[in-house]
Amino acid sequence: MAATPLPLEVINLKKRFGDNEVLKGLSLKAHKGDVISMIGASGSGKSTFLRCMNLLEQPNEGELIVHGESIDFKQTRRGREPANWRQVERIRAKLSMVFQSFNLWAHMTLLENVVEAPIHVLGKPKKEALEHGRALLDRVGLLERADYYPTQMSGGQQQRGAIARALAMEPEVMLFDEPTSALDPELVGDVLKVMRDLAEEGRTMIVVTHEMSFARDVSNQVIYLHQGVIEEAGAPAEVLENPQSDRLRQFLAPKF
Amino acid sequence: MQQLNAWFTDLLAGNEIFTANTLGYYADGLATTVQLVFLSLIIGLLLAVPMAIGRGSSRPWIKWPIFFYTYVFRGTPLLIQLYIIYYGVVFVEGIQDTWLWLILEEPFYPALIAFTLNTAAYTTEIFRGAIKATNKGEIEAARAYGMSRAKMMRRIILPSAFRRALPAYGNEVIFMLHASAIASVVTIMDLTGAARFVYARFYAPFDAFLFVAAIYLCLTFGILYLFRYLEKRLLAHLRPQN
Repeated sequence: MAATPLPLEVINLKKRFGDNEVLKGLSLKAHKGDVISMIGASGSGKSTFLRCMNLLEQPNEGELIVHGESIDFKQTRRGREPANWRQVERIRAKLSMVFQSFNLWAHMTLLENVVEAPIHVLGKPKKEALEHGRALLDRVGLLERADYYPTQMSGGQQQRGAIARALAMEPEVMLFDEPTSALDPELVGDVLKVMRDLAEEGRTMIVVTHEMSFARDVSNQVIYLHQGVIEEAGAPAEVLENPQSDRLRQFLAPKF
Repeated sequence: MQQLNAWFTDLLAGNEIFTANTLGYYADGLATTVQLVFLSLIIGLLLAVPMAIGRGSSRPWIKWPIFFYTYVFRGTPLLIQLYIIYYGVVFVEGIQDTWLWLILEEPFYPALIAFTLNTAAYTTEIFRGAIKATNKGEIEAARAYGMSRAKMMRRIILPSAFRRALPAYGNEVIFMLHASAIASVVTIMDLTGAARFVYARFYAPFDAFLFVAAIYLCLTFGILYLFRYLEKRLLAHLRPQN
Protein backbone atom coordinates (compact mmCIF):
# COMPACT_ATOMS: atom_id res chain seq x y z
CA MET A 1 0.00 0.00 0.00
CA ALA A 2 1.53 3.26 -1.09
CA ALA A 3 -1.23 5.40 0.37
CA THR A 4 -0.05 8.53 2.16
CA PRO A 5 -0.40 8.13 5.91
CA LEU A 6 -3.39 9.66 7.65
CA PRO A 7 -2.70 13.01 9.31
CA LEU A 8 -4.12 11.70 12.57
CA GLU A 9 -5.47 8.43 13.83
CA VAL A 10 -6.63 7.63 17.34
CA ILE A 11 -7.35 4.04 18.33
CA ASN A 12 -9.30 3.03 21.41
CA LEU A 13 -8.25 5.92 23.61
CA LYS A 14 -9.15 5.76 27.29
CA LYS A 15 -8.64 8.38 29.96
CA ARG A 16 -9.30 8.21 33.67
CA PHE A 17 -9.16 10.94 36.30
CA GLY A 18 -8.77 8.88 39.45
CA ASP A 19 -11.56 6.32 39.40
CA ASN A 20 -13.61 8.36 37.00
CA GLU A 21 -13.27 7.12 33.45
CA VAL A 22 -14.01 10.12 31.26
CA LEU A 23 -13.07 8.64 27.87
CA LYS A 24 -14.15 5.06 27.36
CA GLY A 25 -12.30 3.89 24.31
CA LEU A 26 -12.57 6.46 21.53
CA SER A 27 -11.30 6.03 17.99
CA LEU A 28 -11.06 8.59 15.24
CA LYS A 29 -9.55 8.84 11.79
CA ALA A 30 -8.80 12.20 10.21
CA HIS A 31 -8.13 12.11 6.48
CA LYS A 32 -6.42 14.96 4.73
CA GLY A 33 -8.86 17.85 4.37
CA ASP A 34 -11.34 16.47 6.88
CA VAL A 35 -13.12 18.96 9.09
CA ILE A 36 -14.41 17.05 12.08
CA SER A 37 -16.75 18.76 14.54
CA MET A 38 -17.04 17.29 18.01
CA ILE A 39 -20.23 18.19 19.81
CA GLY A 40 -21.70 17.17 23.11
CA ALA A 41 -22.84 18.49 26.47
CA SER A 42 -20.24 19.88 28.83
CA GLY A 43 -18.63 17.03 30.70
CA SER A 44 -19.05 14.67 27.77
CA GLY A 45 -15.25 14.52 27.39
CA LYS A 46 -14.91 16.28 24.04
CA SER A 47 -12.28 18.78 25.22
CA THR A 48 -10.39 16.11 27.11
CA PHE A 49 -10.39 13.96 23.97
CA LEU A 50 -8.96 16.84 21.96
CA ARG A 51 -6.30 17.54 24.62
CA CYS A 52 -5.28 13.89 24.61
CA MET A 53 -4.54 14.15 20.91
CA ASN A 54 -1.54 16.43 21.49
CA LEU A 55 -0.83 14.92 24.90
CA LEU A 56 -1.71 17.93 27.00
CA GLU A 57 -3.53 15.18 28.88
CA GLN A 58 -1.97 11.72 29.08
CA PRO A 59 -4.31 8.98 27.88
CA ASN A 60 -4.28 5.84 30.04
CA GLU A 61 -4.79 3.51 27.11
CA GLY A 62 -4.93 3.67 23.36
CA GLU A 63 -2.80 4.48 20.40
CA LEU A 64 -2.05 7.79 18.75
CA ILE A 65 -0.66 7.91 15.23
CA VAL A 66 0.32 11.22 13.67
CA HIS A 67 1.22 11.13 10.00
CA GLY A 68 2.17 7.48 10.27
CA GLU A 69 4.26 7.91 13.42
CA SER A 70 2.94 6.11 16.46
CA ILE A 71 3.64 7.68 19.84
CA ASP A 72 5.58 5.43 22.21
CA PHE A 73 4.38 5.02 25.76
CA LYS A 74 5.90 3.39 28.81
CA GLN A 75 4.61 2.42 32.22
CA THR A 76 6.08 4.30 35.16
CA ARG A 77 5.22 4.49 38.83
CA ARG A 78 2.99 7.47 38.09
CA GLY A 79 1.16 5.58 35.35
CA ARG A 80 1.47 5.59 31.61
CA GLU A 81 3.72 8.25 30.14
CA PRO A 82 5.22 9.02 26.75
CA ALA A 83 8.48 7.14 26.43
CA ASN A 84 10.22 9.95 24.63
CA TRP A 85 9.36 13.60 25.25
CA ARG A 86 11.40 14.67 22.24
CA GLN A 87 9.00 12.69 20.09
CA VAL A 88 6.04 14.28 21.83
CA GLU A 89 7.46 17.76 21.23
CA ARG A 90 8.04 16.96 17.58
CA ILE A 91 4.51 15.64 17.20
CA ARG A 92 2.92 18.53 19.06
CA ALA A 93 4.57 20.89 16.60
CA LYS A 94 2.58 19.16 13.86
CA LEU A 95 -0.74 19.59 15.64
CA SER A 96 -1.26 23.25 16.39
CA MET A 97 -3.94 24.03 18.88
CA VAL A 98 -6.28 27.00 19.15
CA PHE A 99 -7.58 27.49 22.67
CA GLN A 100 -10.84 28.71 24.09
CA SER A 101 -9.07 31.50 25.99
CA PHE A 102 -6.63 32.28 23.13
CA ASN A 103 -3.53 31.86 25.32
CA LEU A 104 -1.39 34.26 23.33
CA TRP A 105 1.90 35.06 25.07
CA ALA A 106 1.16 38.36 26.76
CA HIS A 107 4.69 39.80 26.76
CA MET A 108 5.05 39.47 23.01
CA THR A 109 3.48 41.47 20.23
CA LEU A 110 1.09 39.71 17.90
CA LEU A 111 3.74 39.20 15.23
CA GLU A 112 6.23 37.92 17.82
CA ASN A 113 3.58 35.45 18.98
CA VAL A 114 3.13 34.19 15.44
CA VAL A 115 6.83 33.70 14.66
CA GLU A 116 7.90 32.40 18.10
CA ALA A 117 7.36 28.67 17.60
CA PRO A 118 8.37 28.59 13.90
CA ILE A 119 11.73 30.17 14.81
CA HIS A 120 12.41 28.55 18.17
CA VAL A 121 10.76 25.16 17.73
CA LEU A 122 10.96 24.48 14.00
CA GLY A 123 14.20 26.40 13.53
CA LYS A 124 12.97 28.46 10.62
CA PRO A 125 15.17 31.40 9.55
CA LYS A 126 13.98 34.59 11.19
CA LYS A 127 13.48 36.60 8.04
CA GLU A 128 11.43 33.90 6.38
CA ALA A 129 9.31 33.41 9.50
CA LEU A 130 8.59 37.14 9.77
CA GLU A 131 7.58 37.32 6.14
CA HIS A 132 5.31 34.31 6.48
CA GLY A 133 3.95 35.68 9.77
CA ARG A 134 2.99 39.01 8.19
CA ALA A 135 1.29 37.22 5.31
CA LEU A 136 -0.72 35.13 7.78
CA LEU A 137 -1.74 38.17 9.80
CA ASP A 138 -2.87 39.76 6.57
CA ARG A 139 -4.96 36.67 5.87
CA VAL A 140 -6.80 36.90 9.16
CA GLY A 141 -7.20 40.65 8.70
CA LEU A 142 -4.79 41.75 11.43
CA LEU A 143 -1.73 43.05 9.60
CA GLU A 144 -2.13 46.53 11.06
CA ARG A 145 -2.24 44.96 14.55
CA ALA A 146 1.12 43.19 14.12
CA ASP A 147 2.87 45.31 16.75
CA TYR A 148 0.04 45.31 19.28
CA TYR A 149 0.18 43.31 22.47
CA PRO A 150 -2.60 40.78 23.08
CA THR A 151 -4.17 42.83 25.88
CA GLN A 152 -4.56 45.73 23.46
CA MET A 153 -6.84 43.73 21.18
CA SER A 154 -10.42 42.50 21.36
CA GLY A 155 -11.16 38.83 22.02
CA GLY A 156 -12.06 38.22 18.39
CA GLN A 157 -8.80 39.77 17.22
CA GLN A 158 -6.84 37.74 19.74
CA GLN A 159 -8.47 34.54 18.56
CA ARG A 160 -7.80 35.32 14.90
CA GLY A 161 -4.22 36.10 15.93
CA ALA A 162 -4.06 32.73 17.69
CA ILE A 163 -5.26 31.07 14.49
CA ALA A 164 -2.47 32.84 12.58
CA ARG A 165 -0.04 31.51 15.21
CA ALA A 166 -1.38 28.00 14.63
CA LEU A 167 -1.12 28.35 10.85
CA ALA A 168 2.48 29.54 11.08
CA MET A 169 3.48 26.03 12.16
CA GLU A 170 2.17 24.66 8.85
CA PRO A 171 0.50 21.94 10.87
CA GLU A 172 -0.62 18.51 9.81
CA VAL A 173 -3.85 18.96 11.76
CA MET A 174 -5.34 21.99 13.52
CA LEU A 175 -7.07 21.36 16.84
CA PHE A 176 -9.68 23.90 17.94
CA ASP A 177 -10.87 23.78 21.54
CA GLU A 178 -14.16 25.72 21.64
CA PRO A 179 -12.58 28.65 19.78
CA THR A 180 -15.62 30.92 19.95
CA SER A 181 -16.97 30.11 23.41
CA ALA A 182 -15.18 32.98 25.17
CA LEU A 183 -16.19 35.61 22.61
CA ASP A 184 -18.92 38.21 22.58
CA PRO A 185 -21.64 37.17 20.12
CA GLU A 186 -20.82 39.94 17.64
CA LEU A 187 -17.17 38.80 17.43
CA VAL A 188 -17.93 35.13 16.80
CA GLY A 189 -18.68 35.68 13.12
CA ASP A 190 -15.20 36.95 12.19
CA VAL A 191 -13.52 33.95 13.78
CA LEU A 192 -15.90 31.46 12.19
CA LYS A 193 -15.34 33.09 8.83
CA VAL A 194 -11.58 32.58 9.11
CA MET A 195 -12.16 28.94 10.11
CA ARG A 196 -14.50 28.41 7.18
CA ASP A 197 -11.83 29.79 4.79
CA LEU A 198 -9.33 27.36 6.25
CA ALA A 199 -11.72 24.47 5.78
CA GLU A 200 -12.30 25.48 2.18
CA GLU A 201 -8.60 25.54 1.39
CA GLY A 202 -8.38 21.93 2.52
CA ARG A 203 -6.91 22.14 6.02
CA THR A 204 -7.41 19.15 8.26
CA MET A 205 -9.26 20.39 11.32
CA ILE A 206 -10.75 18.91 14.47
CA VAL A 207 -13.08 21.36 16.16
CA VAL A 208 -14.75 21.09 19.54
CA THR A 209 -17.66 23.45 19.20
CA HIS A 210 -21.08 24.54 20.31
CA GLU A 211 -21.72 26.33 17.01
CA MET A 212 -24.21 24.00 15.35
CA SER A 213 -24.27 26.07 12.17
CA PHE A 214 -20.51 25.63 11.82
CA ALA A 215 -20.83 21.87 12.42
CA ARG A 216 -23.59 21.64 9.87
CA ASP A 217 -22.26 23.89 7.12
CA VAL A 218 -18.49 23.60 7.31
CA SER A 219 -17.54 20.18 8.64
CA ASN A 220 -17.75 16.96 6.68
CA GLN A 221 -17.97 14.81 9.78
CA VAL A 222 -19.72 15.28 13.09
CA ILE A 223 -19.01 13.30 16.24
CA TYR A 224 -21.45 13.39 19.12
CA LEU A 225 -19.89 12.49 22.45
CA HIS A 226 -21.86 11.47 25.48
CA GLN A 227 -20.25 10.50 28.79
CA GLY A 228 -16.97 9.55 27.17
CA VAL A 229 -18.46 7.46 24.38
CA ILE A 230 -18.96 8.31 20.72
CA GLU A 231 -22.70 8.04 20.56
CA GLU A 232 -23.13 9.01 16.93
CA ALA A 233 -20.77 9.91 14.12
CA GLY A 234 -21.10 10.60 10.44
CA ALA A 235 -21.85 13.24 7.87
CA PRO A 236 -23.47 16.35 9.38
CA ALA A 237 -26.62 15.85 7.33
CA GLU A 238 -27.12 12.38 8.85
CA VAL A 239 -26.12 13.14 12.41
CA LEU A 240 -27.68 16.56 12.83
CA GLU A 241 -30.79 16.22 10.66
CA ASN A 242 -31.61 12.65 11.51
CA PRO A 243 -30.36 11.84 15.01
CA GLN A 244 -30.82 8.23 16.04
CA SER A 245 -30.50 8.42 19.80
CA ASP A 246 -32.85 10.18 22.22
CA ARG A 247 -29.94 11.88 23.86
CA LEU A 248 -28.70 13.53 20.66
CA ARG A 249 -32.25 14.49 19.79
CA GLN A 250 -32.53 16.11 23.20
CA PHE A 251 -29.14 17.80 22.81
CA LEU A 252 -30.12 19.27 19.46
CA ALA A 253 -33.61 20.35 20.48
CA PRO A 254 -34.22 24.08 20.92
CA LYS A 255 -33.53 24.92 24.57
CA PHE A 256 -36.40 27.37 24.94
CA MET B 1 13.81 85.16 48.88
CA GLN B 2 16.62 87.64 49.49
CA GLN B 3 16.82 86.45 53.04
CA LEU B 4 17.13 82.86 51.91
CA ASN B 5 19.81 83.85 49.47
CA ALA B 6 21.72 85.68 52.16
CA TRP B 7 21.39 82.73 54.50
CA PHE B 8 22.73 80.42 51.83
CA THR B 9 25.73 82.63 51.01
CA ASP B 10 26.43 82.92 54.70
CA LEU B 11 26.31 79.18 55.07
CA LEU B 12 28.85 78.63 52.34
CA ALA B 13 31.09 81.50 53.43
CA GLY B 14 31.49 80.08 56.90
CA ASN B 15 32.10 76.62 55.57
CA GLU B 16 35.15 74.91 57.04
CA ILE B 17 33.84 71.39 56.79
CA PHE B 18 33.31 70.72 53.12
CA THR B 19 36.82 71.29 51.90
CA ALA B 20 38.37 69.45 48.99
CA ASN B 21 39.81 67.07 51.54
CA THR B 22 36.51 65.97 53.12
CA LEU B 23 34.74 65.95 49.78
CA GLY B 24 37.41 63.49 48.71
CA TYR B 25 36.37 61.18 51.54
CA TYR B 26 32.77 61.39 50.38
CA ALA B 27 33.80 60.69 46.79
CA ASP B 28 35.79 57.61 47.82
CA GLY B 29 32.87 56.53 49.99
CA LEU B 30 30.51 56.93 47.07
CA ALA B 31 32.74 54.77 44.89
CA THR B 32 32.93 52.07 47.58
CA THR B 33 29.16 52.09 48.15
CA VAL B 34 28.39 51.89 44.45
CA GLN B 35 30.87 49.06 43.97
CA LEU B 36 29.58 47.14 46.94
CA VAL B 37 25.93 47.51 46.03
CA PHE B 38 26.37 47.01 42.31
CA LEU B 39 28.52 43.87 42.67
CA SER B 40 26.28 42.30 45.29
CA LEU B 41 23.19 42.99 43.17
CA ILE B 42 24.72 41.53 40.01
CA ILE B 43 26.07 38.39 41.69
CA GLY B 44 22.88 38.08 43.74
CA LEU B 45 20.80 38.28 40.58
CA LEU B 46 22.87 35.60 38.85
CA LEU B 47 22.45 33.32 41.87
CA ALA B 48 18.77 34.10 42.27
CA VAL B 49 17.57 33.11 38.79
CA PRO B 50 18.53 29.42 38.97
CA MET B 51 17.47 29.27 42.62
CA ALA B 52 14.06 30.74 41.80
CA ILE B 53 13.61 28.05 39.14
CA GLY B 54 14.80 25.36 41.56
CA ARG B 55 12.53 26.66 44.30
CA GLY B 56 9.55 25.73 42.13
CA SER B 57 10.92 22.26 41.40
CA SER B 58 8.90 19.22 42.37
CA ARG B 59 12.05 17.49 43.63
CA PRO B 60 12.33 17.90 47.40
CA TRP B 61 16.12 17.70 47.45
CA ILE B 62 16.27 20.79 45.19
CA LYS B 63 13.33 22.68 46.60
CA TRP B 64 13.88 22.41 50.35
CA PRO B 65 17.55 23.45 50.62
CA ILE B 66 16.74 26.59 48.63
CA PHE B 67 13.74 27.31 50.82
CA PHE B 68 15.89 26.81 53.92
CA TYR B 69 18.51 29.20 52.57
CA THR B 70 16.04 31.95 51.69
CA TYR B 71 14.23 31.47 54.99
CA VAL B 72 17.42 31.87 57.03
CA PHE B 73 18.69 34.88 55.14
CA ARG B 74 15.35 36.64 55.11
CA GLY B 75 14.64 35.64 58.69
CA THR B 76 17.73 37.18 60.30
CA PRO B 77 19.03 40.76 60.32
CA LEU B 78 21.59 41.66 57.69
CA LEU B 79 23.82 43.14 60.38
CA ILE B 80 23.99 39.79 62.18
CA GLN B 81 24.82 38.04 58.91
CA LEU B 82 27.59 40.58 58.34
CA TYR B 83 28.97 40.08 61.89
CA ILE B 84 28.96 36.31 61.51
CA ILE B 85 30.83 36.42 58.22
CA TYR B 86 33.21 39.23 59.17
CA TYR B 87 34.06 38.20 62.74
CA GLY B 88 33.25 34.53 62.40
CA VAL B 89 35.53 33.49 59.57
CA VAL B 90 38.63 34.31 61.58
CA PHE B 91 37.82 31.40 63.87
CA VAL B 92 37.54 28.85 61.10
CA GLU B 93 40.44 26.47 61.73
CA GLY B 94 43.33 27.00 59.35
CA ILE B 95 41.60 29.51 57.10
CA GLN B 96 44.37 32.03 57.59
CA ASP B 97 46.78 29.67 55.85
CA THR B 98 44.72 29.40 52.66
CA TRP B 99 44.34 31.73 49.70
CA LEU B 100 40.83 32.49 50.96
CA TRP B 101 42.33 34.60 53.69
CA LEU B 102 43.75 37.03 51.13
CA ILE B 103 40.14 37.82 50.26
CA LEU B 104 38.55 37.56 53.67
CA GLU B 105 40.98 39.68 55.64
CA GLU B 106 39.85 42.80 53.79
CA PRO B 107 36.51 43.95 55.23
CA PHE B 108 35.16 44.65 51.73
CA TYR B 109 34.81 40.98 50.82
CA PRO B 110 33.00 39.69 53.88
CA ALA B 111 30.57 42.58 53.40
CA LEU B 112 30.18 41.75 49.72
CA ILE B 113 29.50 38.10 50.59
CA ALA B 114 26.92 39.01 53.25
CA PHE B 115 25.14 41.49 50.99
CA THR B 116 25.17 39.11 48.02
CA LEU B 117 23.74 36.20 49.99
CA ASN B 118 21.12 38.48 51.52
CA THR B 119 19.92 40.06 48.29
CA ALA B 120 20.05 36.70 46.49
CA ALA B 121 17.63 35.30 49.08
CA TYR B 122 15.14 38.13 48.65
CA THR B 123 15.49 38.16 44.87
CA THR B 124 14.94 34.41 44.70
CA GLU B 125 11.62 34.82 46.48
CA ILE B 126 10.59 37.78 44.31
CA PHE B 127 11.29 35.80 41.13
CA ARG B 128 9.73 32.64 42.46
CA GLY B 129 6.49 34.51 43.06
CA ALA B 130 6.61 35.98 39.58
CA ILE B 131 7.32 32.60 37.98
CA LYS B 132 4.49 31.02 39.93
CA ALA B 133 2.10 33.69 38.71
CA THR B 134 2.70 32.86 35.05
CA ASN B 135 -0.58 32.41 33.22
CA LYS B 136 -1.35 28.68 32.99
CA GLY B 137 -2.86 29.11 29.54
CA GLU B 138 0.37 30.62 28.20
CA ILE B 139 2.34 27.67 29.56
CA GLU B 140 -0.11 25.27 28.01
CA ALA B 141 0.24 27.05 24.66
CA ALA B 142 4.02 26.73 24.89
CA ARG B 143 3.69 22.98 25.52
CA ALA B 144 1.12 22.59 22.75
CA TYR B 145 3.51 24.24 20.28
CA GLY B 146 6.24 21.70 20.99
CA MET B 147 8.53 23.64 23.32
CA SER B 148 10.76 21.64 25.63
CA ARG B 149 10.80 22.55 29.32
CA ALA B 150 14.07 24.45 28.98
CA LYS B 151 12.91 26.38 25.96
CA MET B 152 9.61 27.22 27.61
CA MET B 153 11.47 28.51 30.66
CA ARG B 154 13.82 30.62 28.53
CA ARG B 155 11.36 31.95 25.98
CA ILE B 156 8.05 32.21 27.82
CA ILE B 157 8.18 31.87 31.60
CA LEU B 158 11.30 33.87 32.48
CA PRO B 159 10.73 36.83 30.13
CA SER B 160 7.20 37.14 31.39
CA ALA B 161 8.20 36.65 35.05
CA PHE B 162 11.08 39.17 34.91
CA ARG B 163 8.70 41.82 33.69
CA ARG B 164 6.22 41.06 36.46
CA ALA B 165 9.01 41.09 39.03
CA LEU B 166 10.42 44.44 37.91
CA PRO B 167 8.59 46.76 40.35
CA ALA B 168 9.33 44.53 43.34
CA TYR B 169 12.95 44.11 42.26
CA GLY B 170 13.31 47.89 41.98
CA ASN B 171 12.37 48.10 45.65
CA GLU B 172 14.94 45.45 46.49
CA VAL B 173 17.66 47.49 44.74
CA ILE B 174 16.77 50.58 46.77
CA PHE B 175 16.61 48.51 49.93
CA MET B 176 20.08 47.12 49.20
CA LEU B 177 21.51 50.59 48.66
CA HIS B 178 20.23 51.72 52.04
CA ALA B 179 21.17 48.51 53.80
CA SER B 180 24.72 48.94 52.53
CA ALA B 181 25.12 51.73 55.11
CA ILE B 182 25.85 49.06 57.72
CA ALA B 183 29.06 48.21 55.89
CA SER B 184 30.55 51.12 57.83
CA VAL B 185 30.30 49.19 61.10
CA VAL B 186 32.96 46.75 59.92
CA THR B 187 35.33 49.63 59.17
CA ILE B 188 34.51 49.97 55.48
CA MET B 189 34.80 53.58 54.34
CA ASP B 190 31.61 53.63 52.30
CA LEU B 191 29.39 56.70 52.08
CA THR B 192 28.18 56.30 55.64
CA GLY B 193 31.71 55.55 56.78
CA ALA B 194 32.86 58.82 55.24
CA ALA B 195 30.03 60.68 56.94
CA ARG B 196 30.93 59.16 60.30
CA PHE B 197 34.53 60.21 59.80
CA VAL B 198 33.58 63.79 58.96
CA TYR B 199 31.21 63.88 61.91
CA ALA B 200 33.90 62.69 64.28
CA ARG B 201 36.49 65.06 62.86
CA PHE B 202 34.37 68.24 63.06
CA TYR B 203 31.71 67.14 65.56
CA ALA B 204 29.11 68.43 63.09
CA PRO B 205 26.38 65.81 62.88
CA PHE B 206 23.93 67.79 60.79
CA ASP B 207 26.42 68.79 58.13
CA ALA B 208 28.03 65.37 57.91
CA PHE B 209 24.88 63.26 57.88
CA LEU B 210 22.50 65.55 56.02
CA PHE B 211 25.03 65.80 53.24
CA VAL B 212 25.37 62.03 52.98
CA ALA B 213 21.58 61.65 53.20
CA ALA B 214 21.31 63.95 50.19
CA ILE B 215 23.71 61.75 48.25
CA TYR B 216 21.65 58.64 49.10
CA LEU B 217 18.54 60.50 47.97
CA CYS B 218 20.16 61.31 44.62
CA LEU B 219 21.20 57.68 44.14
CA THR B 220 17.69 56.52 45.02
CA PHE B 221 16.27 58.98 42.54
CA GLY B 222 18.52 57.56 39.83
CA ILE B 223 17.40 54.02 40.61
CA LEU B 224 13.74 55.02 40.63
CA TYR B 225 14.17 56.73 37.31
CA LEU B 226 15.94 53.74 35.76
CA PHE B 227 13.21 51.35 36.90
CA ARG B 228 10.48 53.66 35.72
CA TYR B 229 12.10 53.70 32.32
CA LEU B 230 12.44 49.91 32.29
CA GLU B 231 8.84 49.44 33.37
CA LYS B 232 7.63 51.78 30.70
CA ARG B 233 9.51 49.84 28.05
CA LEU B 234 9.10 46.29 29.27
CA LEU B 235 5.63 46.45 30.74
CA ALA B 236 4.10 48.07 27.65
CA HIS B 237 2.02 44.93 27.15
CA LEU B 238 0.11 45.61 30.36
CA ARG B 239 -0.93 49.12 29.37
CA PRO B 240 -4.06 49.56 27.28
CA GLN B 241 -3.41 51.20 23.93
CA ASN B 242 -5.10 54.50 23.24
